[in-house]
Amino acid sequence: MSDEAKAASPLRPEDAPPNLYDEHGNARFFADPAMDRFVAVVMNLAQEVWVQEERLLALEEAKSGQSVDKEAKVAEFIGRVFEPVRKA
Amino acid sequence: MTVELQHPMKADATPQETARGRFVSGMRSLILNDLAGDMGEAYEKRAAPKFRKANGRDPETSREAHEALRGDPAFNIYSAMRVQAQKMVWASVADSVERESERLAAEAAKVADVAGGAALNPELDVPKNVHAIDVHLMPGSYTRGADSLEAGAVYDRGLAVFSMGLMGANLDDIGLSMAQYIKLRFPDFAPERILDTGCTIGHNTLPWKQAYPAAEVIAIDAAPGPLAYGSARAKMQGQDVLFQQMCADDLAYEDESFDVVWSSMFLHELSKKQRAKCFEEAYRVLKPGGLVVHMELPPNDQMSAFDGFYLDWDSYYNNEPYYKGYRDEIPANLTARAGFASDDYFDFVVPSISIYGEDAVREAAAGDRAEAVGQETTGRLAEGVMWYGFGAFKK
Repeated sequence: MSDEAKAASPLRPEDAPPNLYDEHGNARFFADPAMDRFVAVVMNLAQEVWVQEERLLALEEAKSGQSVDKEAKVAEFIGRVFEPVRKA
Repeated sequence: MTVELQHPMKADATPQETARGRFVSGMRSLILNDLAGDMGEAYEKRAAPKFRKANGRDPETSREAHEALRGDPAFNIYSAMRVQAQKMVWASVADSVERESERLAAEAAKVADVAGGAALNPELDVPKNVHAIDVHLMPGSYTRGADSLEAGAVYDRGLAVFSMGLMGANLDDIGLSMAQYIKLRFPDFAPERILDTGCTIGHNTLPWKQAYPAAEVIAIDAAPGPLAYGSARAKMQGQDVLFQQMCADDLAYEDESFDVVWSSMFLHELSKKQRAKCFEEAYRVLKPGGLVVHMELPPNDQMSAFDGFYLDWDSYYNNEPYYKGYRDEIPANLTARAGFASDDYFDFVVPSISIYGEDAVREAAAGDRAEAVGQETTGRLAEGVMWYGFGAFKK
């Protein structure tokens, strides 16, 4: 759906205060709406870095003949990158 | 972790797409385990005391817990990241579905003559709650791509990322756990005809065919695309299931024609009026001695204010507008209002069979359901998940 369509006919819980959403019908959490977008940018950026990391791991695997536990690696990576938001 | 689908329509993903999916699953694990824990601590240490100071008492309802947490830094970061991770789930699979649309159609064509099939109804007026919002932030919702395989493929591949490995290798853990529980708890019950309502791609339908191989299994949904995909998916897995496009609140079946009416994670997608009608229809089409059984989120009246809010979060922020309204209802009243006797009602909690094993399900089937309903793992897609269900036999 387009933002205009969502905003025009939102299906929302009956008790949802209108200030939970911006003018496009998107959920908002921070006092400054730019922060909501900034969180998304950081996550997208981290994802792209991980894509490059995983490609490097694949090259290293091919070179060494040793397989890498990518699930463990991604958990470590995410833990490191997002450590500052823990215990907010 | 991202589950690898168990059929030929699984993605032939590029290394980048595989990495993106892995990252999103990992993010969801961080959010739903670690950040959720942080938010729980923030609730106890900051939000609830602040509410208590202002109101002279603790938050008593999901709504009050939500009110107490709004604006708290832990709530803000958990919520903003969870919304973005949800969008990333669908984005991580969209490219491969688009690129592989012809291959998907070719794979489906290979099994066109296998038993089962999908009977679509182009005349059906698909309800607003199915098409007019991007349900759980899935672009295009369940009607994306009309009656093509697109919506089903996005849903299947997206669920493989979304589930973090907690919904089983075939994304069927709910169906497997529930069907096995019913079989073990009611060993003399031998259904001949089973109906799954709101089945999407039938991932939780197939376990009923596996549990009761002799039964005729029919699965319905209002959206055509997921049915077309689900039918091909079932055939590829050797399961003879008939998929039909139909609304659960207006069943085109004769009275007393089924032994089981089942659904999973479906009732919360309906308005209160639709939901009541679904139960009336289930009662009508069930034979005497038949069973209505639903897997759903546990109701608010069996949870603390915080745990209730935690599940209701989706209602406000994940485009699940009826989620909280459903959870505010009392399941026993839903069955009773449709005609099921109160003493034939039961509810229960089933340990995930993929995580805990069949012995744990057997133990649950032999034990008292009440011990686990209030546990924080009940209904939460996180480490240690357990599934809530309820049902009633028709006299």
